[in-house]
Amino acid sequence: MILIGERINGMFKDIREAILNKDPEPVRHWAKRQYEAGAHYLDVNTGPTVEAKDQPKVMEWLVNICNETVPLPCCIDSTNPEAIEAGCAANKHGKVMINSTHADQWKMDIYIPMAVKYNAALIGLAMNEKGVPKSAADRAALAMEIVVNADAHGLPMEDLYIDPLMLPVNVAQEHGLEVLEAIRQIKALAPGVRTTLGLSNSSQRCTNRHLLNRTFLIMAMACGLDSAIADVDDPELINAVAAANLFLNKEIYCDSFLKTFRQR
Amino acid sequence: MGLTGLEIFKQLPKTNCKDCGHPTCLAFAMALASGKESLDKCPHVSAAAREALDSASAPPIALVKIGVGENAVELGNETVLFRHDKRFEHPTAIAISVCDTMSADEITAKVAQINKLVFDRVGQVHKVNLVAVGNCSGDADKYAAAVKLVAENTQFPLVLMSENPAAVEKALELVAAQKPLVCGANAGNYEAMTNLAKKYDVPMVVKGSNLDELADLVEKVVALGHKQLILDSGARDVAKVLFDQTQIRRQALKRFRAFGYPTIAFAQNDDPVQAVIEAGVYIAKYAAVVVIDSADPADVLPLITLRLNIYTDPQKPIAVECKIYEIGNVTPESPVFITTNFSLTYFCVAGDVEASRVPGYIIPVDTDGISVMTGWAAGKFTPEKITETINSLGLADKVSHRKLIIPGGVAVLSGKLQELSGWEVLVGPRESAGIPTFLKQRWNA
Repeated sequence: MILIGERINGMFKDIREAILNKDPEPVRHWAKRQYEAGAHYLDVNTGPTVEAKDQPKVMEWLVNICNETVPLPCCIDSTNPEAIEAGCAANKHGKVMINSTHADQWKMDIYIPMAVKYNAALIGLAMNEKGVPKSAADRAALAMEIVVNADAHGLPMEDLYIDPLMLPVNVAQEHGLEVLEAIRQIKALAPGVRTTLGLSNSSQRCTNRHLLNRTFLIMAMACGLDSAIADVDDPELINAVAAANLFLNKEIYCDSFLKTFRQR
Repeated sequence: MGLTGLEIFKQLPKTNCKDCGHPTCLAFAMALASGKESLDKCPHVSAAAREALDSASAPPIALVKIGVGENAVELGNETVLFRHDKRFEHPTAIAISVCDTMSADEITAKVAQINKLVFDRVGQVHKVNLVAVGNCSGDADKYAAAVKLVAENTQFPLVLMSENPAAVEKALELVAAQKPLVCGANAGNYEAMTNLAKKYDVPMVVKGSNLDELADLVEKVVALGHKQLILDSGARDVAKVLFDQTQIRRQALKRFRAFGYPTIAFAQNDDPVQAVIEAGVYIAKYAAVVVIDSADPADVLPLITLRLNIYTDPQKPIAVECKIYEIGNVTPESPVFITTNFSLTYFCVAGDVEASRVPGYIIPVDTDGISVMTGWAAGKFTPEKITETINSLGLADKVSHRKLIIPGGVAVLSGKLQELSGWEVLVGPRESAGIPTFLKQRWNA
């Protein structure tokens, strides 16, 4: 399970203010804290308050701080292609990840070649301008569009992470089963293709968010989920993933499995 | 095994004509992948694409048979790179070579030696499988005479090792009914060899000078209509063979059709120790046939043993035979230990009884190869079963005393066992490591 720490995002007040004040400390703090918690990637998002023209510079600044603080690759999270490109160019550790393209042709035409150029991993959202599909089959069909385009550009399937898109359980409860089924179907679309989820979305404005997040994560792992953008600052979530890895026979059991999982 | 949507889509015409009833070829590919549609719905799919999609349902490595009757060997049908992922299916066939330059007496003597390479391992008979006849003389008549002589003197199927079609044809006229392996075809002779193999319906080795040429050659042979093939990448150096064997297996499992056949490897080093080590590597790393020169039992026994071990099913517990085992110089006064026939359990007990330096008898009760506690929980290690076992093995005739030592973990069985068997039951330690101390304190104390 590849865990992408979600916390360095301008949607959070401390990060927003850090960007505003050019203060690297909060970014350093969260980079280090998520690294220590067991994250494999740091999601980096400028947030919507940064003006579009400034986003590439801010993205580069954020990625540089993360890179200086911890040896993790960044997951460049933006809807602005220039900001994504700046983030990809700045990343120094491991394989950078692009978050994300939709199944719309014009978006795929931008981000898939960009992923190939930077030898990046790419998150593909199984949706298009018409919105989030309801059924598992519709999600898989959009995923297939991304798979075929990625294959045509020579992006290795192992570098493609399809996100079938989970919606909050309080308002879109019927999507849960469809997403689980979609993960199974996506794994059968092409050899090696991976899956991911924006996990915290599943519990927006719900109570007991940590419980909801980790329960859905474990269910999704059983369906073949490979990765999640998640709140890695929740130790119970990491514990549950470490335990699930054992039951899925991904790691050899030992009594100290919680500790060894965090040591990667 | 099904194909993925992407693999199917690549074979479709991509016309998006909707004749199949789906809006796009992509949608049709998805429907095929999920098994909701049949390929027949698409009127534009090419014959090559149909073939590619059909062959995808075949196993990744073809099954090839050499010989007839009870000595026939089946090879291939493997599905994993590592035995712990599932199991290796068909044990490597060991072939011993003779040459047509040897005199008739020498050939008969070596074949007689090969015939005797039959060993008893853990209660089963294991033997070599094939006699490889080399055309070292290069002469067709001499070769045919040697093949005839070997065939008359052994029950093992033959490997006809000659790249000369004239020699192979002469030999096949004599022994084709025994379905020998023709070894074989190369870039220079493959048309003539393939025609012979087809005519006599026998399996054939295809040899390339490297992996690229091998793949190319296999496709040509298959195009001529022969599919009972065994692959030889041409490598003879052990490092290169290891590389090629790994690639062939790995690509075959990824459904690269040209490599979807069993392989042959040659461990014909002049140093017999080195040859055995090389053959060991090939047995562990995917070779379906290994050819060696030595018929010395000392060289062959370790290979037979390694093959037996490597090709056991890791998911099935390994059992030892249920009989009375004697550890050390036992006397009728020696203690008797009861355990189960799970090999791990038995060997733990045997090791600790040996360490006690007190000779003793061990009786592993047949629990289908499961441990003491598992056997007890599954109702396979019961007082009834233990009593029946000691009676049927005639333990009473072996020892003068009437005492049984049972594992401490199943102490609860002691009363019932004592009642049923009429033997005094001593409850041993929970761990076999406690046997030496137990014997000091409780046996003859």
